[in-house]
Amino acid sequence: MFDTIRNAYSHRELIFSFAVRDIKARYKQTALGVAWSLIQPLSMMIVFTLVFSLFAKVPSDGIPYPVFAYSALIFWTFFANVISGGTGAMTSNSSLIRKIYFPRETLLLSVLLAGLLDLGIASTLFGGMLLYYRIALTAAALWVIPLVALQMLLMLGIISLTSAAHVNFRDIGHGLPLLIQLWMFATPVAYPISVIPEWLKPLYLLNPMAPIIDGYRRAIILGTRPDLEALAVSAAVSLTLTVTALAIFKRAERTFADVI
Amino acid sequence: MSDITIELHNVSKRYWLRRGWYVFSIKDEVGRLTSRLLRREVQPREEFWALRDITFSLKRGEVLGLVGPNGAGKSTLLKILSRVTVPTSGSFVVHGRLGALIEIGAGFHPELTGRENIALNGVILGMSRREIESKFDRIVAFAELERFIDTPIKHYSSGMQMRLGFSVAAHTDPDVLLIDEILAVGDASFQVKCANKIAELKEQHKTIILCSHSMSNITDHAKSVLWVDGGRVRMLGETDAVLDAYLEHVTAAMNTAEDTRGEEAGSGAGPASIHQVQTLDGDERPQARFDRGDRVLIDITYSATQALPGAVFGVSVEDIQGHPLGGVVTDPDSIKIPAPVERGVLRLTLDPILFNRGAYTLSVVISDPKVKRSYGLKRRAARIAVDGPRAADRESSGHVYYPHQWESLR
Repeated sequence: MFDTIRNAYSHRELIFSFAVRDIKARYKQTALGVAWSLIQPLSMMIVFTLVFSLFAKVPSDGIPYPVFAYSALIFWTFFANVISGGTGAMTSNSSLIRKIYFPRETLLLSVLLAGLLDLGIASTLFGGMLLYYRIALTAAALWVIPLVALQMLLMLGIISLTSAAHVNFRDIGHGLPLLIQLWMFATPVAYPISVIPEWLKPLYLLNPMAPIIDGYRRAIILGTRPDLEALAVSAAVSLTLTVTALAIFKRAERTFADVI
Repeated sequence: MSDITIELHNVSKRYWLRRGWYVFSIKDEVGRLTSRLLRREVQPREEFWALRDITFSLKRGEVLGLVGPNGAGKSTLLKILSRVTVPTSGSFVVHGRLGALIEIGAGFHPELTGRENIALNGVILGMSRREIESKFDRIVAFAELERFIDTPIKHYSSGMQMRLGFSVAAHTDPDVLLIDEILAVGDASFQVKCANKIAELKEQHKTIILCSHSMSNITDHAKSVLWVDGGRVRMLGETDAVLDAYLEHVTAAMNTAEDTRGEEAGSGAGPASIHQVQTLDGDERPQARFDRGDRVLIDITYSATQALPGAVFGVSVEDIQGHPLGGVVTDPDSIKIPAPVERGVLRLTLDPILFNRGAYTLSVVISDPKVKRSYGLKRRAARIAVDGPRAADRESSGHVYYPHQWESLR
């Protein structure tokens, strides 16, 4: 873990260059360019508002549903994009991995970095929505910073495992979109956490993303602090996962060039 | 102070054939399991040692040539040294920054411009952004791509991409440089620049490992040579001694093994066959090694099932990599096949033989040039090795020695 941090620092220019490459290459020869970072969560928000709020009458804790949904969707999109991009990070750079040595986790960190930039772009629209609905930010909004940090830690753990596995089993690439989809419905993105029956809650909160997504909503819209107890569990799960996953990744990394 | 820059100790690398040892599919595993349950023989996973107990060291400023047949383990060795893959056992150290002119241009992104790719590739190869910025103009000028530097490289020709790749890699300022068969990048003038760059790096006392099938590249640059074969060190020593032994071995192997599986186009079907091609020295003794300037006799044993009035014999020469070097044909008016022949022998004399040091293969054909029809063909029918002057006092390059003299007139 500390090795990874030290390595990441000494290779910060490489991580940054990979992120720049990914962002630049992604929007080359597109007409809308970087606007695609907005379109993804925005269109999901519209669909969710129609389906869950208008048709299914899902409660939203008294918050206007579009804001309610979007506050979770921008962070969920961040999650989904990093997981799918990170999982393929080794295989999509296979020619590089077969030919040049560099610490492979830089590719994972660059996916996180590029995802963070997309999150920043999507947030600008969110700011506009908050103004429109006259929702004022309080000091509690600062909770977003540790929440994003925790989410990134969790994502790093997940993609360390999935990217290494993807080198050996391309099955991962097929199963992943399905998994992300299911995971979203196990996370309070489209509905509030309050609809979960009490008896199911302990189990539900084992999903480390649940208190994080719920936390964003509380911090930004409700102006309260996140559910710290649930968040502590999430942090413990994430930290354990990431430390283990990075160790596994560094071991698996040795044979990437032979197998990929 | 130790001058050792590269040190390998018993480095071995194992690969698994069929599939990697953990690369398995459920189908295969179920298959293996059922076989086991039915007490049938389980197909073992085959291992393949690409390298076995490689031990050597290189001092600072040394240039080591790396030779061996395809599949000998040369590329695996370079991959291990460049840390792309790890050895299965053994240990190695490389002191200083390592640069590799191996797969140049790896990591280029087709959608990005030349400028953006220089920045990206430079960082991947270990340069800092500031370093790249300061060397940027030199990199572009060396690659001769000033006009296209802001064009996405997907619009570059493959030669342009190679030039850019070489240029970035050559400017990483490494202490140790691995070069794999890339001295033939781009057009002639760019090749000269590449060779000069290598010479420049040599002058700066960089440690270089040069892997090439071109013996002249090796003799030009390397002081010592490592010959690997079947993953093992076959010989390590002074360039001339190792290359002598290597060429001798290649020749011998070819004369025994290749002779029997020499390709005969239309064998049996064609009206003529070439059975044997034997090289002899001036005293008519079978010989496959010659010195430049020797008299060489080539005896061709052939048969024909019918009269072939327009037929001519041709002997063509190829170098060790299969590049044709031209050949000679018979005059149809003097050498003829007027009737079926059961066992004919034709002798070609080359006197003197004017090849430079190297190994050469001879192919023999019987054909009718007027109707472009081949009656019989034996590719790589014989192989000869030619010894020439030592690298130090070479006065000619390439494969053919031109009888010549120099005079200073004024």
